[in-house]
Amino acid sequence: MPEGILCNKTPVDTKEQLDAVLADKGGKKYYDEMKQLDVDVEKLKNTLQASFKSRMKTWLEMCAHCGLCGDSCFLYLANRKDPTQVPSYKILSTLGKIVKNNGNVDNAHMRYCMDVAWSKCTCCNRCGSFCPYGIDMGIMFGYLRGLCFSQGFVPWELKIGSGMHRIFKAQMDVTPEDWVETCEWMAEEQQDEWPGLEIPVDKEGADILYTCNAREPKHYPEDIAEAAILFHIAGENWTVPSDGWEQTCLTLFAGDWAGCKMQVENVYSAIERLKPKRVLGTECGHAHRCMVIEGPYWTGRQDGRPPKPYLHYTEWVAEALRTGKIKIDPAKKIKEPVTLQDSCNYIRNFGLKDVTREIMSYLVEPGYFVEMTPNKEHNFCCGGGGGINGIGMYRQQRNVGLKVKRDQILATGCKLIISPCHNCWDAIRDLEEVYELGIKWTFLKPLLIKMAIIPEHLKPKEEEGEEE
Amino acid sequence: MFYNFITGPLLWLSFGIFFIGLLVRIVNYVRGLDWQADRVAYRAHLGLGIKGALQSIVHWLVPFWSVGWRAKPLYTIIFFVFHIGLVVTPLFLEGHMVILKERWGVSWPTIPMGLADTLTIGVMVSAVCIAIRRIALPEVRIVTTFYDYFLLLITVAPFASGFLTVYQAPNPWAIKDFWLYAHILSGEFLLMAIPFTKLFHVVGYFLSRGQLGMDFGIKRGYKAKGGFAW
Repeated sequence: MPEGILCNKTPVDTKEQLDAVLADKGGKKYYDEMKQLDVDVEKLKNTLQASFKSRMKTWLEMCAHCGLCGDSCFLYLANRKDPTQVPSYKILSTLGKIVKNNGNVDNAHMRYCMDVAWSKCTCCNRCGSFCPYGIDMGIMFGYLRGLCFSQGFVPWELKIGSGMHRIFKAQMDVTPEDWVETCEWMAEEQQDEWPGLEIPVDKEGADILYTCNAREPKHYPEDIAEAAILFHIAGENWTVPSDGWEQTCLTLFAGDWAGCKMQVENVYSAIERLKPKRVLGTECGHAHRCMVIEGPYWTGRQDGRPPKPYLHYTEWVAEALRTGKIKIDPAKKIKEPVTLQDSCNYIRNFGLKDVTREIMSYLVEPGYFVEMTPNKEHNFCCGGGGGINGIGMYRQQRNVGLKVKRDQILATGCKLIISPCHNCWDAIRDLEEVYELGIKWTFLKPLLIKMAIIPEHLKPKEEEGEEE
Repeated sequence: MFYNFITGPLLWLSFGIFFIGLLVRIVNYVRGLDWQADRVAYRAHLGLGIKGALQSIVHWLVPFWSVGWRAKPLYTIIFFVFHIGLVVTPLFLEGHMVILKERWGVSWPTIPMGLADTLTIGVMVSAVCIAIRRIALPEVRIVTTFYDYFLLLITVAPFASGFLTVYQAPNPWAIKDFWLYAHILSGEFLLMAIPFTKLFHVVGYFLSRGQLGMDFGIKRGYKAKGGFAW
């Protein structure tokens, strides 16, 4: 059977296709069909010819087989230094073979590539900073994922994720109507405590256009409320777009290059339409990577920058604290040992290490902030990046991988972890579930709301009757 | 006659292949860079890019300067003993300079024989360490191929034979000047092999490290004060 009904080379583009794949619980039939899926060698060859260029070609060709990348990989360490987890081995035995054979590989090899690309690499790019030649295997695995996706060899959940983006322009089935309704609902909910709080939708020329992660409207609407409260406290002139609000791209995890472009264009067009001064994203790593770091390239922006300055949430928080828009009550500063999870996507791969530490200096009583080792751009992946958090088939591998972060956290002696990234937050939550360390983990938003000094004029007015 | 040939036309040929081959490598590499596929706006932020490239290259050229080198102190020592010997010895050897002056009329300062010997022994000993490492460490063994040993062998051969030439070691076949010929031929073979093998990293290192440095300087790390802390 060349193509399956569920597992095939065609991305999910319609609601019917999506429902059919979703109905196959756990992807049982999907993965069965994958075993029969033909490899389109000609297409693979053409893709290589068009997109496999000197940077990666040189990386694969020049790799000195020195094995220095081994210890840089958290999955290698977590798997008791299993040599098959050495990054160079992983990439040479997968993409390396495809390139060597000029695309002439079979179904078994493509399924092997899928397993390695999604369960043995989270594309954290740490190995790239430990290779003397600067060979970045995370980038090559991202590329390999693209090849796998184009041939239909993609984990079930990510086939769905890519389909969601293609249909809903969001990683979950949240329509613009659902989104706007959630915003209205959240604004209303807050009126008792925060009279006058608004979540302005589609306001033109605002100072800040806010974009978020679909799981916020879908599962954690309070996150949107928290963002609104903080903007309210800071007195920001802000807005959200009714369309183009979803900042994440599961298409990136899936290797769906066309889907990535589509998603970024959706958000960029909201920026063009609403002309804000700046754009601000939520506490998410890969969303930032998509819209700010890679997005400009996917959409062909030659300056490599988004259409407007596009900040990560931590950049805005640091600025708000620095300029006094948000003031922290000194009595409420954190007075217990606390550590910080450096997200690969905006620390290693964007350089916000100083900004996050600046935030810590405002929130944590001196002497209580403990750095992880290693940290900053050399920090280990949380263990849940690159999509592995959401792939049922690789749950076991993911849980083993969490051990490195677990040990890093234990070594700090902290029970509280600040994690301004959805993916890291999830991974640390699951880490607690699996290993029961007795830790707490948090985004910045709830912390800030708890610790901020509320300006008098924003406080709810006492009932008149009570005063007299 | 044979000596004249291998130190004349064949030497020219080896240098020709070496230099032209590496030049072609460089040109092909740079031409194959693609701002959109690599996702690095090389042209738009050339200044940031050059700064990032230099940082990246220099940090890894100096022993223990990069985080990566510091993570592997023993290997770093072996690596630098090997590479410093490989580069310095042939370029500054008195014996080579005599020939250079005689043939091309150019010369530059040389290193004392004692140092040259030390460096050469360093190259040979570190090569043995590298080979042992390939066998002993599972994470290196799994990626090692026969080709890696072959490259190590052709790299060390001119040094070993050169050393034996200097000390006029006997050879099993009692051929006059055997080690000298072996030295010249293996040296020329190495020069010619460099552009066609992984050994092209003599330029490839600078290109690849420079490229990743540009990536981090322009895109992935430009928000960090002082750039990416290699």
